[in-house]
Amino acid sequence: MRGGRTYDTVVVGAGVSGLTAATRLAEAGASVCVLAKGVGSTHLAAGTIDVLGYTPDRVDEPGAALSAFVAERPEHPYALLGTAAVAPALRWLTEHVAAGPQPGYCYVGGGLDRNALLPTALGAARPSALVPETMAAGELRRPDPVCVASARVLRDFHPTLCAANVSRAGVEARAVELEMAWERPDANALGLAARLDDPGFRADLAAQLAPRLRPGERLGLPAVIGLRDPHGAWTELERRLERPVFEIPTLPPSVPGIRVFDALRAALTAAGGRLVMGAEVVGAEREGGRVTALRAAGAGREVRYTARWVVLATGGFASGGLVLGQDWVVRETVLGLPLRGVPAAGKPRFSADYFGEQPMARAGVAVDASLRSPELENALVAGAALAGAEPWREGSGEGIALTSGLRAAELVLESEGVSVAA
Amino acid sequence: MAALSTDVLVIGGGATGAGVAWDAALRGFDVTLVDRADLGEGTSGRFHGLLHSGGRYVVKDPRAAEECIAENRILRRIAADCIEDTGGLFVTTPFDDPEYADRFVEGCRATGVDCEEVDVGQALREEPRLHPGISRAFHVPDGAIDAWKTLWALARGVRARGGRVLPYNAVVGIHRDGDQVTGARLRDTRTGEQTDVRARVTVNATGAWAGRVAEMAGVENVRVLPGRGIMIAMNHRLVNTVVNRCQMPTDGDILVPIRTVSVMGTTDVHVTDPDDQAVVQEEVDAMLAGGEKLVPGFREARALRVWAGVRPLFQDTADDAGSSRDVTRAHTLLDHAGRDGIGGFVTITGGKLTTFRLMAEETVDAVCRHLGERRSCATKGEPLPGSERGEHYHVVERLARRERELLDEQLVCECELIPRAKLEEALRRSGTTHLDDLRRVLRLGMGPCQGGFCIYRATGIMHALDGLDAARATGALLEFLEERWKGVWPILYGDQLRQARLDDWIFQGVLDVRHAGQ
Repeated sequence: MRGGRTYDTVVVGAGVSGLTAATRLAEAGASVCVLAKGVGSTHLAAGTIDVLGYTPDRVDEPGAALSAFVAERPEHPYALLGTAAVAPALRWLTEHVAAGPQPGYCYVGGGLDRNALLPTALGAARPSALVPETMAAGELRRPDPVCVASARVLRDFHPTLCAANVSRAGVEARAVELEMAWERPDANALGLAARLDDPGFRADLAAQLAPRLRPGERLGLPAVIGLRDPHGAWTELERRLERPVFEIPTLPPSVPGIRVFDALRAALTAAGGRLVMGAEVVGAEREGGRVTALRAAGAGREVRYTARWVVLATGGFASGGLVLGQDWVVRETVLGLPLRGVPAAGKPRFSADYFGEQPMARAGVAVDASLRSPELENALVAGAALAGAEPWREGSGEGIALTSGLRAAELVLESEGVSVAA
Repeated sequence: MAALSTDVLVIGGGATGAGVAWDAALRGFDVTLVDRADLGEGTSGRFHGLLHSGGRYVVKDPRAAEECIAENRILRRIAADCIEDTGGLFVTTPFDDPEYADRFVEGCRATGVDCEEVDVGQALREEPRLHPGISRAFHVPDGAIDAWKTLWALARGVRARGGRVLPYNAVVGIHRDGDQVTGARLRDTRTGEQTDVRARVTVNATGAWAGRVAEMAGVENVRVLPGRGIMIAMNHRLVNTVVNRCQMPTDGDILVPIRTVSVMGTTDVHVTDPDDQAVVQEEVDAMLAGGEKLVPGFREARALRVWAGVRPLFQDTADDAGSSRDVTRAHTLLDHAGRDGIGGFVTITGGKLTTFRLMAEETVDAVCRHLGERRSCATKGEPLPGSERGEHYHVVERLARRERELLDEQLVCECELIPRAKLEEALRRSGTTHLDDLRRVLRLGMGPCQGGFCIYRATGIMHALDGLDAARATGALLEFLEERWKGVWPILYGDQLRQARLDDWIFQGVLDVRHAGQ
């Protein structure tokens, strides 16, 4: 094991909650290191900021719905965090993306006042509080007809099916199949996005599209409109095609999600924070009620990180933060913290009905309002590792991640005597 | 109502029924094969994939062993393309009675099952993941047989000889004219349309459901005991040889490598309802524990899917006590003319997939007797469509083909290496709108990601190709997700749970499948 490194705070996990907590801490002057086994939620999710989409009926005004929602669910992360903390978290994200490395690229939308209703790759109308500017024109409450276009080479997006379900949702829609010269028979979203960073490729695409679009139609494309300069690429397409253009999120890897990752990583490193990828935490040292060091597997050796604070942002089962072992016992993988919401031994773990309530779905780390496990005074938990939420069914993932990530950082800062007045 | 007339109506689209139809078609009869669901949705598509050498029965049920080895040799010839020649091992683990091995050897000799003892070190070199404490090991000619491929080949052969294959056609009534069965009424489960079939002979080849179908013909005393067994597919070829524990057959004592997975089997629980295919937690635990005894670290692999199948075990006399494992595995042919005074009606039940050809031969012999015709069986010498070259398939075949097509063909399913053209061809050929049908034909969605990536793609392709309306295409997607979940939730743990949650993220989060069309 190598000698070691010391930080004020070590954050475990590089999803939205971990990067948010780390960036907030670094910007307040703390020394911060993020340890991550790999990329996190950003690369999988749609790239929208979902606060509350379903309760289970569709939510139009998330701010108004939140108070009733938490009143019925006192153990939900939003109840612990307080609904007043959500709006500042959305503002924080909006500012950080706007100031990010993709010039002009920003998030827009009604925030807590009104969910946007954007089409998914299946053509379902999905509610989100904030959306990338490049998606906003997909709003399905607007009456103007939609043309969805893609190329066969992108096997992860099917414009005909998308358009047909958009039509079922009440907006006139049709699909157009594009020709796209490609050296291989299949491309993923990331490959196409890299190509769309090239102005020449965009010009060809626009030239091919222009004659096939009808007056008054807005154009939906898979979410691949550039990684380096999506704002430039998107405005150029709108200008050339003389109509609103919007992105539709599809299967991972998520291009809009990667833009968020890039923006937060840039903010973190600009503020002096460090991000170590490929660093799986394999051990933790404790002294009494404190965690004193984490050991991470690196390139062929372990590195020991000591810190006064640890922020656990490792996600739930999908991200490896929680594991259900072959002995049918659920464990939190980094610190072995006590859990809540786990069905008792011998009780059903899951239900036979896929779309029904799943007993295991709300399992997570048990924390108090200071996001601390009763076991450890200097470890805070943020994001999908928290017990009590079902992010996909509720449409709440990013809202919880941002709000809890910021709160974790601010609780650390308060304990260190740093003023956190927003 | 539609009507058709046929020589032989075969009820039950499993290996037995399809085998009967193939045999009868080869003898020149006009045949009609029907099933209430797709071919192979009953027991045939729900077993571990073992082509028996007979080794499992040499001590307990020598007659079954003799049939198995004879049919094993024939199937290797006529259904070569449906078989992977994995070979088999019987190993004495530290958990087995060491005395059994000598009885096993003697049983193999007596029944003619080829068996060769191999040095334990050699066996461990061949299968390095086997329990290092094994004390004896024997090679036998077990293999892996792809039941679905076998069924499609049989169905193709039947159609090529002018026969009809009608899946999704449930028998809603069996016609009697006095003491003669004269056919049946079918109901298309997809369209509701009914068809009257007039048949000279009706064959009940419905396995565990045979008692119910016989009752529809007014024959009350066909007692078939459904013996439910569960199987678990692991995401690796943990072994490349079929591995059996050398002991009296019991729960969780066999691991069959088939296609890209290995299948652990099985349990045996006497149930009253053949449609009771529930998976019970204790049985899952027993299976996983059984796996550990053969291959230490078994549970570290990802358990992909669990399912139950029901063995048809015929009982001549009522005897409900104890396990159904003690009932003979050999098959039973009931000629209802002699037995019950009902003409034109034959029931074939019991048996196992390995002996389907023999069961079909005996059944069609009985059909000939009913019709007063002498036509001899030709299935021993006639290869199934696709098996003419006599070569077995290899597990790496798809990979080899992929290498050649790398720059020409889009992959729809990375786990099972399914090219888009193959999917489109299957869609055109079958005209199906059930993604689960494609799973059985192509293995779509059967790999480690369990459809996480390919099922949206397949839905999009199906929708664009068929001009299927969006509501039905989306409905097919939802139906697939619900159906898949049934085989997944009881065994979710470790990385496979992580995978399942990623799939939920995609379907419920990114695609929001539940709210499509609203």
